[in-house]
Amino acid sequence: MTAVLQARAITKSYAIGKREIPVLRGVDLDLHAGEKVALLGASGAGKSTLLHLLGLLDRPTAGEVRYDGRPVQDLSVAERALLRHRQVGFVFQFYHLIPELTALQNVLLARMMGTTVFGYWRQRRRARSAGVAMLEQVGLGERLHHRPAELSGGERQRVAIARALLAEPRVLLADEPTGNLDSETAQGVVELMFSIQRERDLAFLLVTHDEQLAARCDRIVRMKDGTIQGSRPGDVQPEDSAQAD
Amino acid sequence: MYRLFLAIRYLLTRPINLLGMGGIAISVWALVVVVSLFSGVMAVIERHVQEAGADLMVTGLPEWAEWSRVDSALGDDPNVAATAPRLLHYGLLLRPGERPPTPPLPGRSALNGGDQPFLFVLGIDPDKEREATEFERWLGSADIPPALRVPDPDAPLADRDGTPTVLVGLDRMQREGYAIGDRLRLTTARLVPGEGGGKTPVRLELDLVVGGAYRTSHGGFTGNNVFVAYSTLARALFPDRGDPVQEVAVRVHDQTQLDATAERLQRTVHRAVERDGLGFGQVETWRQRNGQMLANVAHQRTLLKIVLIVILVVAAFLMLATLSMTVTEKIADIGILTAMGGTPGGVTLVFLASGLVITFVGVLLGLTTGVLTSVYLEEIRQGVLWAFGVDLFRLDTYNLTRVPYLIEPIWLLQVTLMALVTGLVVSAIPALRAARHDPLVSLRGV
Ligand SMILES: Nc1ncnc2c1ncn2[C@@H]1O[C@H](COP(=O)(O)OP(=O)(O)O)[C@@H](O)[C@H]1O
Ligand SMILES: [Mg+2]
Repeated sequence: MTAVLQARAITKSYAIGKREIPVLRGVDLDLHAGEKVALLGASGAGKSTLLHLLGLLDRPTAGEVRYDGRPVQDLSVAERALLRHRQVGFVFQFYHLIPELTALQNVLLARMMGTTVFGYWRQRRRARSAGVAMLEQVGLGERLHHRPAELSGGERQRVAIARALLAEPRVLLADEPTGNLDSETAQGVVELMFSIQRERDLAFLLVTHDEQLAARCDRIVRMKDGTIQGSRPGDVQPEDSAQAD
Repeated sequence: MYRLFLAIRYLLTRPINLLGMGGIAISVWALVVVVSLFSGVMAVIERHVQEAGADLMVTGLPEWAEWSRVDSALGDDPNVAATAPRLLHYGLLLRPGERPPTPPLPGRSALNGGDQPFLFVLGIDPDKEREATEFERWLGSADIPPALRVPDPDAPLADRDGTPTVLVGLDRMQREGYAIGDRLRLTTARLVPGEGGGKTPVRLELDLVVGGAYRTSHGGFTGNNVFVAYSTLARALFPDRGDPVQEVAVRVHDQTQLDATAERLQRTVHRAVERDGLGFGQVETWRQRNGQMLANVAHQRTLLKIVLIVILVVAAFLMLATLSMTVTEKIADIGILTAMGGTPGGVTLVFLASGLVITFVGVLLGLTTGVLTSVYLEEIRQGVLWAFGVDLFRLDTYNLTRVPYLIEPIWLLQVTLMALVTGLVVSAIPALRAARHDPLVSLRGV
């Protein structure tokens, strides 16, 4: 079975002035449907960079990202955006909710993307009930019309999760989703993500610093200096480290 | 869809953007109202001068010009429908024995006037004049009270008890308290050849009797001209000449050929009134005769347009300022919108949409209020007059019963386009700044 999402020999470097700073130095990664993968690594290891590349927010300097085995680097900006919209849900550490919108509007924005005014108008009832259902699923049925400023950190992250999942993506990429939450709240958010992941059979990549949390995933990938160190708890893949140098 | 939705949410949560919207609306409003008013005034002036004149006028004919020759030459033109000879003189028209005050003298084409005793005397042939101008309508004007109406419109200038008749403008009649049958004396002079080839003015007095009032919608014409019979003036000014003529009023068949006809007739007249190889007389259309006056109003309208367009630009700067603030505050949203499936370029269109929403609403507001204001200018004038005692528009200047307006769809279109383009440019500037922003920067957090 091919992985939903594959990274092959990905490198990424940033040009600072005249110098090229390598951030990723040949990363391979497979992500299957229904699989929870934890991505661990020190700050600055390149976790977020990898996540952005996998989520088509950025292009690798070299290497390939594949969706369902199909390379995406030759797709146009618009095609990549559409793929991102259909296949990928993002959850970030800093929620990134739009403060002018209520919880429900923030979630519905995901539905508005990619439709015209009239297209949305025709499906507005369905969209709304889907948004409400989604917010109810994350436990915010009572908070539909609250602005982000009126919500706690945990609640905001739940809205962000609802937003990421409304378009029914197959891949969920979470970048330190609990990094800003106290452990109790974090626990709730994690349970929520895990349960939805199970229910929807999502391919789930979770960037975290939390070893305990990582241990609950199917697989752990460790990153160090822009390379993958191991893909099972405590496991080091020799060919990966050889590639790095 | 999300762009429009977000743009509207951004705007609604930032009432300061109403400033730019209001600015656009006000300048569009002013552009519509002021130009409609001026165009209305111009249309009124055109209508008035046209009604009080002939399609074409031949003027400046020398004193030796012969009506029979001029008339037959003009009559040969296919587009000439009717001609009427006029003699033009001037003088003081007073009750016998009355001493006039010393008044200012306005030009002959002043928009209004006629409140001084010095005036122009037109010698006309009523039957011909009727064919060439709206003379019939001038006598039959509904504004003339029955007591002042010419008793026999078929022979308005027939002598009364052997005395020649004069037709006086309605305003003058009423101001001076003239009644039909009142005796008046025209005091003037005529030039007679003196010794040595020069000309000497000789005092000339004509006793006249008031035959009735006339009224055109051109206040300046009605106020400054009186009519007497062609024969009366011919006898007094040219005692030894059969058919003198100084001006000819011409009616044409086809108004659309007016300018071409005028050019043609100019050559005709020069041929018919020629001495020593030199042609005399000048042919002008009614529009040319009043061209300066119309051009003046048009010029004022252009100046105001420029001033108001500058105001539009100022309003656009206001919009630019508030939009820039919005972009600065909201540029971070680009990251998440891109992550949700927007293209980076498409996402920045949110900011363009914000500007366009402001512009659209502003233009729409300005257009509707502008058109409404134009239509109800008279009601507004009365309201202001009642509330503040200030008359914003002197109706009597143009002999009007209400403030004129002319809404030209072309102008509305031009204003709309102008405002939209300005709005687009002003919205594009901050949107371009947003477009240069890397979405990943905001996603990486602080
Ligand atoms: N736009 C950029 N320009 C230059 N360097 C960058 C840029 N973005 C990230 N980096 C660098 O890439 C490295 C990896 O960053 P990141 O992927 O955010 O790490 P992590 O998420 O693992 O903490 C860091 O050293 C960071 O400074
Ligand atoms: Mg990171």
